[in-house]
Amino acid sequence: MKITDAAVCPYPNGDSSVRRLALEAEALGFDSLVVPDTPSATIGGVEVRRGLFIQNAGMKDVIAQVKRARDPGTVVSVRAGDAGFNRGVVGFRGVHILRGVHAAEKNAFDHVTAKMAADNRVAVDIDLSCLISARGIVRQKAIQRYRDVMLLEQRFEFPLTLSTYARSVLDLRAVREISGLCTLVGMDLSDVEKALAGVGAVTAPAEPAVKVV
Amino acid sequence: MAVRPPTLRDKRRYLLVRVDPPGTTIDQKELYYAVSDAVSSLWGDAVAGIIVQAVVCAEGDYVVIRCRRGTERELAIALSTVTRIRDTKIALRIISASGTIESLRDRMKPLPPPVAGESPGLRFDGKEFIPVHCDGQKVDVIEKGFKNTSRLFLTTEDMETE
Repeated sequence: MKITDAAVCPYPNGDSSVRRLALEAEALGFDSLVVPDTPSATIGGVEVRRGLFIQNAGMKDVIAQVKRARDPGTVVSVRAGDAGFNRGVVGFRGVHILRGVHAAEKNAFDHVTAKMAADNRVAVDIDLSCLISARGIVRQKAIQRYRDVMLLEQRFEFPLTLSTYARSVLDLRAVREISGLCTLVGMDLSDVEKALAGVGAVTAPAEPAVKVV
Repeated sequence: MAVRPPTLRDKRRYLLVRVDPPGTTIDQKELYYAVSDAVSSLWGDAVAGIIVQAVVCAEGDYVVIRCRRGTERELAIALSTVTRIRDTKIALRIISASGTIESLRDRMKPLPPPVAGESPGLRFDGKEFIPVHCDGQKVDVIEKGFKNTSRLFLTTEDMETE
């Protein structure tokens, strides 16, 4: 099991280089990071995986961008939109993670999408930055939305991932701290362990339905 | 007021916390306000009244924060939501918890020596930087000139020494 932070944003979007983020992440207990538009590499003991973050795009753009990024190591994630868009994204082969569910409309991620995500092994991302940095109503809404996601997860068992969206080494959190923060949205320790290994689970090649013995 | 006998006193726990980035000037009072704000915004005033958090001492990059015994988990979660003291961006890294401050002092590591005054100019992304903190491969720099004083967190491999 590889403990993965599913999104960090290094320099020039943030104030820390990829190498520095990797060093700090290793000290905080991570095995891998997903970094947008950065070639895959291993720095220290941390595997840096290339990420493709698609946001503010229609379904046609998503299909075009996913087809262009056919590098097998790339982790493809799409920002959630309305319910129809999310169903389309979750049903499209090549998408690994659905992000920003907390910021989407209230019913944008419903039981139908949850079932499709479970069937197609598409993970739903839990953005910890809004639990860490936000205050008041924004954080309350995020907690409420993620609790709703967890309710669906317990029913349909779709994969989860955890992201800090760290733009600085100061935004990274230790695995133990992340476990604590996840209890706010109703996750227990086994849920957190599964979510930290979520990127590996959704990017691993699917086992064949029929095995020849 | 008479001091209570030990058996009637509240049981306390102390958390040893390292303040990142290294070398940040820690004002105990400001940190107390930041921690209190984090605790009460996350858990509410009722739970904050049970936790009874306080910043007991600040030594170098380390801070000892007190809470009522049994509320360490809540305090630790709240501490992970502290991102700023006033305008300074920080992170609080929990090192250890104990029932006495003395046992926590043993876990405080001495500060690495400060960067020498006449440090070499460093280049990154076509700009000149001055190192402000070095620890192994890790280098914290600020851009030369007085306009931009924000820190960049890099490694020795990212830099080109002149």
